[in-house]
Amino acid sequence: MKEKTDTHLVEYAVLLSLAAIISLLFYYFRYDHRVLIFLSGVASFGYVLWGIIHHAVEGRLTKFIAAEYAVFGVLIFFLLYTVLSF
Amino acid sequence: MMSVLTGKKKSNIVKDWRQQPKSIEKFQFVHHFLPHPEQQKRATLLSNRAIVIYCLAMLLIAGVFRFLPKVVPGVLGYASDITVKDLLTYTNARRKDAGLSELRLNSALTSAAHQKAEDMFKDQYWAHISPDGTEPWDFILGQNYDYIYAGENLAKNFSNSKDVVEAWMKSTSHKENLLSPNYDEIGFAVVNGVIEGYETTLVVQMFGRPRNAAQVASVYEEQTVLEKEATAAVSERVELPATEGTSESLQQPVYTQALPENPALDVTVATKTVSAVFGGFVGTLLALDVWYSKRKGIHKFTGHTVAHLGILVLVVASIWFVLTPGIVL
Repeated sequence: MKEKTDTHLVEYAVLLSLAAIISLLFYYFRYDHRVLIFLSGVASFGYVLWGIIHHAVEGRLTKFIAAEYAVFGVLIFFLLYTVLSF
Repeated sequence: MMSVLTGKKKSNIVKDWRQQPKSIEKFQFVHHFLPHPEQQKRATLLSNRAIVIYCLAMLLIAGVFRFLPKVVPGVLGYASDITVKDLLTYTNARRKDAGLSELRLNSALTSAAHQKAEDMFKDQYWAHISPDGTEPWDFILGQNYDYIYAGENLAKNFSNSKDVVEAWMKSTSHKENLLSPNYDEIGFAVVNGVIEGYETTLVVQMFGRPRNAAQVASVYEEQTVLEKEATAAVSERVELPATEGTSESLQQPVYTQALPENPALDVTVATKTVSAVFGGFVGTLLALDVWYSKRKGIHKFTGHTVAHLGILVLVVASIWFVLTPGIVL
């Protein structure tokens, strides 16, 4: 049980670190929309990948869960792209 | 007083309740927003299909924002509050920080910058070199400004002067111009107009060092240009009267600075609102999902709601607090 919690914490720490790095890059390149669109794509894809790996490690990965992360990744990208493309 | 339902009583209640169509409708409606305890699923409005629909809706709205300016030019645009005085102040502050001399505002470079901006609006382009091959130097030389060094920075769609200068400073090539020790003088144009169907403000920044060092603008000349810019009528072009002995190139119109002119719909606010509405709606449903599932002890076989929620909050916060409109060239 403790091992599972530790793995969980490590995986969430990875997600938080990635989010922090992407946020910093977003702030640094805030005037360059092309870079920001690229970063949005990387962030969305990274989140989908994190979700899939996280559930695979937990042994709970199904097609439905993979699809859920994929649609949330697309949603995140579109939320940013709608603003960045103008 | 406390009542505890036994298993049999509970199943009877469920049975009775299921026989009432109105209750079923209410149950079905509520679970558009709240997770299903029996099906162990998220709210219907958080299903994968619903998320796909939100993405398509956002794509459709973005398409309308792209299409609308082609049908009704100027209805969408970028509201701005950019002034020549602020641009000059921020530019010189940056140069001072870098240990460089301040640039003096020159009337010929200012006129050249205005001509460049008007030319971009007239021929509908956004580039250093116009479609007919006119280069920035042609506008400068057209003002009889004989230079050793010259440079040009462009910006559009920005909302304030500070962001314009910050954006130039973040770009290597623009920063090189801004912090070049080779320039003594500067000229700005802040002109409103419609480009590619969007109402916007173009900013042209032109740098120069005159061949004759004695020709560097005086403090008096700089003040005159600043006063002219400050008191100018909105987006009006004032034609200089042709005087005897004045060459044709000197009869160029003097363009005045455009005061803030807001479009019917600010595209920055509109797109940010669209993203915030969709992101906020999904985020609220996710927060409800976390709260209701915990309260009712619902264990769903789905992805991590807290992770989705956290990422969504970060994205919406970035959209509102980090993303700024504007492009430099």
